[in-house]
Amino acid sequence: MRFLMTTKGTDPNPDAAMLAEMGAFIEEMTRAGVLLATGGLEPGVRMVSSAGEVTVTDGPFTEAKEAIVSFALIEARSREEAVELARRFWRIVGDGEGMVQQVFGPEDVPGPGPR
Amino acid sequence: MTSLDAHRVVDAVWKMESARIVAGLVRMVGDVGRAEELAQDAVLAALEQWPEAGVPDNPGAWLMAIAKRRAVDHLRREERRDRGQERLAHDLVTHADDGARDVDGVLGALDGEVGDDVLRLMFVSCHPVLSTEARVALTLRLIGGLRTDEIARAFLVAESAVAQRIVRAKRALAGARVPFEVPSGPERAARLASVLEVIYLVFNEGYAATAGADLMRPSLCLEALRLGRVLAELTPGEAEVHGLVALMELQQSRAAARTGPSGEPVPLHEQNRGRWDPLLIRRGFAALLRARESGGPLGPYVLQAAIAACHARAATPEETDWPQVAALYEALVRVLPTPVVQLNRAVALAMAYGPRAGLTLVETLTGEPALKGYHLLPAVRGDLLARLGRHGEARAEFDRAASLTRNAAERAVLLRRAAACAGDAGPAEAVKAGRTGQAGPARTADTRGAGEAGEVVKAGRTGQAGPARTARVTAATPGGRRSAGAGVTLGDAMRLFLARPGLSAGTVRSYDQTLSRLCRHLGGEFPLRDVTSHLVAEVFAAAWGTAAGATWNRHRAALRSFASWAAEHGWAVAGLAAALDRRPEPRTRTRPIDRSLLRALWERPETPLRERTLWLLLYESAAPAEWALSLDVEDLDLPGMRGEVRARAHRLRWQSGTAALLPLLVGDRRRGPLFLADRRPGPGRMPPAADLCPHTGRGRLSYERAEYLFKRATRDLDPESGGYTLHRLRHSRLAHLGEDGWSAPMLMSLSGHTGARTLHGFVRVPRPADTVS
Repeated sequence: MRFLMTTKGTDPNPDAAMLAEMGAFIEEMTRAGVLLATGGLEPGVRMVSSAGEVTVTDGPFTEAKEAIVSFALIEARSREEAVELARRFWRIVGDGEGMVQQVFGPEDVPGPGPR
Repeated sequence: MTSLDAHRVVDAVWKMESARIVAGLVRMVGDVGRAEELAQDAVLAALEQWPEAGVPDNPGAWLMAIAKRRAVDHLRREERRDRGQERLAHDLVTHADDGARDVDGVLGALDGEVGDDVLRLMFVSCHPVLSTEARVALTLRLIGGLRTDEIARAFLVAESAVAQRIVRAKRALAGARVPFEVPSGPERAARLASVLEVIYLVFNEGYAATAGADLMRPSLCLEALRLGRVLAELTPGEAEVHGLVALMELQQSRAAARTGPSGEPVPLHEQNRGRWDPLLIRRGFAALLRARESGGPLGPYVLQAAIAACHARAATPEETDWPQVAALYEALVRVLPTPVVQLNRAVALAMAYGPRAGLTLVETLTGEPALKGYHLLPAVRGDLLARLGRHGEARAEFDRAASLTRNAAERAVLLRRAAACAGDAGPAEAVKAGRTGQAGPARTADTRGAGEAGEVVKAGRTGQAGPARTARVTAATPGGRRSAGAGVTLGDAMRLFLARPGLSAGTVRSYDQTLSRLCRHLGGEFPLRDVTSHLVAEVFAAAWGTAAGATWNRHRAALRSFASWAAEHGWAVAGLAAALDRRPEPRTRTRPIDRSLLRALWERPETPLRERTLWLLLYESAAPAEWALSLDVEDLDLPGMRGEVRARAHRLRWQSGTAALLPLLVGDRRRGPLFLADRRPGPGRMPPAADLCPHTGRGRLSYERAEYLFKRATRDLDPESGGYTLHRLRHSRLAHLGEDGWSAPMLMSLSGHTGARTLHGFVRVPRPADTVS
């Protein structure tokens, strides 16, 4: 099962010790065959589609602290495993807010196999 | 937190941490079984405490701490019991005899090298003293942290069977005193190959069953991938490990596209490539790159991954670089020369250079015993023949393939293709039908989980027969053909033959087995007058080429009877069974090892002196391995070419081969065991003085170790690739001597058998001429 772990609104200025610890954690997840992809995100642009009208707004926003700042795509055997990994992550990061969401793969989407 | 929640959390944490915890504990207590018990104690403690106290901050560390404490308690108890023997932390290869074996020291050591411990545990779980099933079960249990019921569900066997398998495996490891280490030198390569094999087996078990309702089986693929990724991080310099990971990532990337809406398998070349997982493809490429960077010659996993990468790179089937695929198969055949790989190569050749190129190769495979009953061989052949416009031959091949497959959907497709051929398809259709798939992951001769090899057959869908064609097929039924003067068909002749009066029910059943097989291979519509002795011999080689002599002879007798009956009626050529030789029937269940294989074994330059001497001694003396291993130097009578097994009051006699080697093996030693272990025993498990060499301090070579060495050395000679046993070596000698005309009393006096009854299998007993038994 794949899960997307996202964080938002963590401390914008992490100290070196925390970064080192995080590096070690990512390394460990890679070694355990768990981590598929990870990265940081800039606040980006916001898009809203309403009544056929697409509005694109540039950042920064006043609500910038709510922007997602990092993500990790992991392969876990159960939701509990994913949550446990997220707990370890938050112990390193400290305060903040995030999500753990199962990612449905193509195998979960109904649809014809062959063309 | 409810106890159910706690249970799920404990289970998740356990799965994540079990490998490290158990590995660390094995290092402490030196025994896999004990280590797992201690770890389970910690799990029980968690189940008791977490619902009340909540999940601890670092649950993994918590489990580890409890387990360690239990281990220390256990070691203290052992220490008290064996005071003076210093059993603590025995067999710690890395921390052998430093005299400071206190508990704290062990604990300190335990905190480092966790990864190495997991790697050691992998090597132990995949140790060759264990059967393949046991290796798989133990690896999933110890490294994967899977529960017994999960393993049982994944492999569709009873939970009790898995539990027993694991118990026996742990006992076997303890019995063989398998050290907790990553071996070095050539043994490392062999053992790593075993680890890779186990992981790939797990992967294929899940891969072959993706359509199953139970999610446990597909998730085996992910478990195997996880194990592979862990292994790759622990052994970053091993090209084949990265090759296996790449292969699994690439195959798994197609998981979503491999099955259709109702779970039916979709061949590679009909898959919707938009459903392939780009993330896994990219990971596969990255792993392949790491494999290439690791250097060394290209091994089978790297090559198979490279083939999978060729397919992954092609945005459409038409863009597949077939010459490149064919070239990779050519390289693969050199390192993995199995008939199934050859068959895949033939498909690739046909795609790259036309059907004739593929057919030439396929023709060389028709007599392969390993492909007997493998429906893809006639399916591929039929496809190539159809593409060459040879529809009559193609039809027989599709018929044969249809009768050989056990899958109803596949059979329907094959029968449709056969019908299309019978309808004398025009060239346009031949081209259309020629859009074959590629034969997928090249395997060893294990046809059970043929994986995507099944895709070759599905290509037949494009060649479906329309209604008009079906009508023409009906016109070509056997009756119609016979009236047209085409002669009696094989199927009709068989029915007439079996319907003769005066045959007992048993005889009919027995004849039916033989003739049905012939019909399945050649097709029931095959004209009897076209059946040649050569064709018959080919079918026999494919169907019963590796069968025991008795089976072969039974079928041979049935065919002879049928042939003379058919010849009498003028329906078949005379001497139809002439090419079939009667086979000797050693009536033992232990089949002898071929003499030429043994000769090759003796001549191998790399065999160490000790093994060479032991094997020759066993062969030449035909004595039980225990007896040979019990020999001491002082028991030998070198000039007399014999040795005394004192416990049995028996003299072992050998011949010139052993006689030439023994003085070299004995060297300057005057007493003590003749065959010595590789190393000195640890202080914790000192053997009795009689089993210690006074010259070198090394112990006596154990039966288990000797057996393992022989199995490993003969694995490549054994068609079943498990390697031969010492027992079989001895029996081979008896069988060979029996073939040479030795009598039962002579064999008894040589081998130490006390009764003639057990030797019956080896002594030639004159039998009446061919009868159907």
